[in-house]
Amino acid sequence: MELFTNLWAWFSGLFVITPAWMTLGAWVAVGLTIFIFSFLYKDNPFFKIAEHLYLGAGMGWWFQVYLYSIFIPKVWDPLMAHQWGVIIPAVLGISLVTQFIPRISWMSRYGFTFMMGYGAGLAVPAGLSTDFIAQIGGTIEPLSRMASMTPFAIFNSLLVAFGVICVLFYFFFSVEHKGAVKKVSSIGIYFLMIYFGAAFGNTVMARFSLLYGRFDELYTYSGSNYFYATQVILISMVLYFVVHALANKGKKGTSEEAA
Amino acid sequence: MLKEKLEKFFKIDRRWIFLLLAIVLFAPIMKPIGLPNKTISRDAQNAYTFMDNIPAGSFVLFSLDYDPSTRPELHPQAMAMVRHAFKRDLRVGVVTFIAGSTGLISQIFAKVPGEYNKGNGTDYVIFPYQANYAAVMTQMGSDLYGIYDKDQDGRDARTLPVMKGVKNYKDMALVVDITGTSILDQWVAFVGDKFNVPVVGGVTAISQPGYGPYLQTKQLKGLLGGMKGAAEYESLIKEPGKGTSGIDSLNLAHLLVLILIMTSNIILLIIRYL
Repeated sequence: MELFTNLWAWFSGLFVITPAWMTLGAWVAVGLTIFIFSFLYKDNPFFKIAEHLYLGAGMGWWFQVYLYSIFIPKVWDPLMAHQWGVIIPAVLGISLVTQFIPRISWMSRYGFTFMMGYGAGLAVPAGLSTDFIAQIGGTIEPLSRMASMTPFAIFNSLLVAFGVICVLFYFFFSVEHKGAVKKVSSIGIYFLMIYFGAAFGNTVMARFSLLYGRFDELYTYSGSNYFYATQVILISMVLYFVVHALANKGKKGTSEEAA
Repeated sequence: MLKEKLEKFFKIDRRWIFLLLAIVLFAPIMKPIGLPNKTISRDAQNAYTFMDNIPAGSFVLFSLDYDPSTRPELHPQAMAMVRHAFKRDLRVGVVTFIAGSTGLISQIFAKVPGEYNKGNGTDYVIFPYQANYAAVMTQMGSDLYGIYDKDQDGRDARTLPVMKGVKNYKDMALVVDITGTSILDQWVAFVGDKFNVPVVGGVTAISQPGYGPYLQTKQLKGLLGGMKGAAEYESLIKEPGKGTSGIDSLNLAHLLVLILIMTSNIILLIIRYL
């Protein structure tokens, strides 16, 4: 293990951040961003390269995270320090892998049993208290102190309580939805629609924010200190599409357009 | 005749809309317009006020749980809140349950502490990534050092001046979780409610509406939502950053969406009644 750690330290030393590495990093970042965005025009080999690189790099990243942040500090180091107690959770963890070998896959049940018991034990009381009791209290409590509230706060509290009741009716399926029940549950749908509308509006804002983040980086890397990475790669991509279009003029399109 | 012409509007190649959107988002980055961010939401104001009223020297735990996929929204929020904590002379501890955020945390603490003359180990401490947040949150309720005996640089956490008198949640004035995941829910359930610790959140705009119930019941003391939340907090601490500069682009993009929705609806109405 020491040899492995030393080898890793030597290998990491090769990647000490220097201005040259920063510039190379900028070119890689810009290239991959533009390659991914190029799919909005149409499918192309550069997009495929970026897509596969993403998957490969992601796997590599997670492997080193599990090795260096979990396995070594949580299992290997304690074992080396003769803390034998870690063998029990380690064996339970390893038992999960046995599900890939049908003959001994029954062993994985022990690991899953432990996880389910542990997870349920943690989640059920916390969920009941935080998401159930506290929320019921939060809906009812304002109604008990209306005398000290402003007219708007009173309206707000009543609206919240009314909305909760209507939405609960909508999700109550043991009574046939007709007559008064149907009317109440229909109002519940309107409350849900308002929530979905707000959530969708926020989703649009979130997506624009992410796009802004990439564009901001593209602009940063368009400077002379990064040797005009954005402009060079963008123009190269446009040229590729022009040449590709000219070369395939008259042929039936095989590439996929943006969905 | 007019009807046919109008119907062509709905057959526009969507790539023209992508291009228009790209221009609208990119142009303000090249030439900022300076559109003001005049509204401060009640939840952002509450988050600011809570942090602002914590006595100097108190310990605040930051859980920075976001990776590059949500960086544009959450990194400015984290920068602004850490800046505010240092401005108020609060002691800062940082934990993370998302492996991808370790590099982003390094970025923040390579820059911000220097602006306020704060030192690693004396004014702030960064703990290493831990995988199982439920176990960590529960353990920290009794003894923080049972899980974080060393800081990110391998120093004994107990001996660091920044950790003086801090053993568990009772010794913390506030927990701030900035996340693109549901970890904030766990901070509220496993820590805020259970150990009676105030929790403030920073989330993506997508998740923001879902936290309304926690805000109403004060299980969350305040909340920042998306890049707008970051811009609001930057306005409150009077330190404009990436959140504020993004508002130009966001406003123009929203305007474009509104124009497109309105235009298509008007055209649809004309076609229907023509």
